[in-house]
Amino acid sequence: MSENLEQSFVAQLQANQNIIHKICRLYTAGEDAHKDLFQEITIQLWKAYPKFRGDSKFSTWTYRVALNTAITLYRKTKRTISTIEYESHQHFVKDVDYNYEEEEQIKLMYKAVYQLNDIEKALVFMYLEDKDYQEIAETLGISEVNARVKMNRIKGKLKKILNP
Amino acid sequence: MKELDLLKKDWKKNSDSFEQISEKEIYKMIHKKSSSIVKWILIISILEVCFWTFSNLFINTDDLLQKMNHPEIVLAMEILTYFNYVVVLVFIVIFYKNYKTISTTVATKSLMGAILRTRKTVQYYVWYNLGMLVLITILSYFIAFVYNPDMAFFREQLAESGKTMFFTVGILFLIILGILGLFWCIYRLLYGTLLRRLYSNYKELKKIDF
Repeated sequence: MSENLEQSFVAQLQANQNIIHKICRLYTAGEDAHKDLFQEITIQLWKAYPKFRGDSKFSTWTYRVALNTAITLYRKTKRTISTIEYESHQHFVKDVDYNYEEEEQIKLMYKAVYQLNDIEKALVFMYLEDKDYQEIAETLGISEVNARVKMNRIKGKLKKILNP
Repeated sequence: MKELDLLKKDWKKNSDSFEQISEKEIYKMIHKKSSSIVKWILIISILEVCFWTFSNLFINTDDLLQKMNHPEIVLAMEILTYFNYVVVLVFIVIFYKNYKTISTTVATKSLMGAILRTRKTVQYYVWYNLGMLVLITILSYFIAFVYNPDMAFFREQLAESGKTMFFTVGILFLIILGILGLFWCIYRLLYGTLLRRLYSNYKELKKIDF
């Protein structure tokens, strides 16, 4: 592949890398696994890049390939996440209006989200990223109505995990 | 859901808190090899096809056939061999076509479907070979009993005693069962670990989109 293609890909990926980091954060535990998945996603993006026509935004395209890699192609070594790894994995920013109770709740929420399965995580991820249901449905290959129904069910499931 | 809104707030606040990877590192990454399950499926599939195709070539039945001096059996074996070549060719074309449809840019459900279809193609090929193996084993025993002059003594024994007949058929049946069982175990182990997650995610997606 040509030098130019490589250059433009690397520059665009560098600028959009947080999308991949966020997916890695949700689907892996620990630094090594994070890096491993990041690399696999980068490889898959690069492999698909020659067909990227630019009729969609680079970021939109990245979302799809990255999620597909995390859910489908990636060979996970660890299936479950231990509490210790979970704690060390979080990077909480302590700002001025630090609210202990709120922070605790957020921690519990992260923990609850980690207990969801891969598909449920994908829906939550896109929800957190403010994607509309049409895009969520198109990315996963399900109908918009069913994506909404599933998201409501996930909310119920999260509630149950938080208040057993 | 209040907690989810809270999480969203935190998620956004932290969305650029990751240690950034430099362009140089990305350059290095794109030249590394993928370790995705698609790659593993491709490697295993190629090994499987090689194994079955070459194992057919190495089974040498020429001497036995010559000894029996029955040209119609030799002809039947030749036809079977050519039929096998055609099957291999057709299989490779279908496998390649399915493999080409695997793309990370399509919807998750379609991607999973494409991977499973590719995998199924190989599975069918293996079942075909196992079927052929069983068929040929039974046929060769039969031919050996009926036509092989060395077996005349044994044939007489069989005709005389129902017990011997029963044992022979029983052993043959057990051997076939053993071969099938062995392959079934290898397959469960090999693809079980590789595809378990994919199957469960695919099932989950199908459940959502009933």
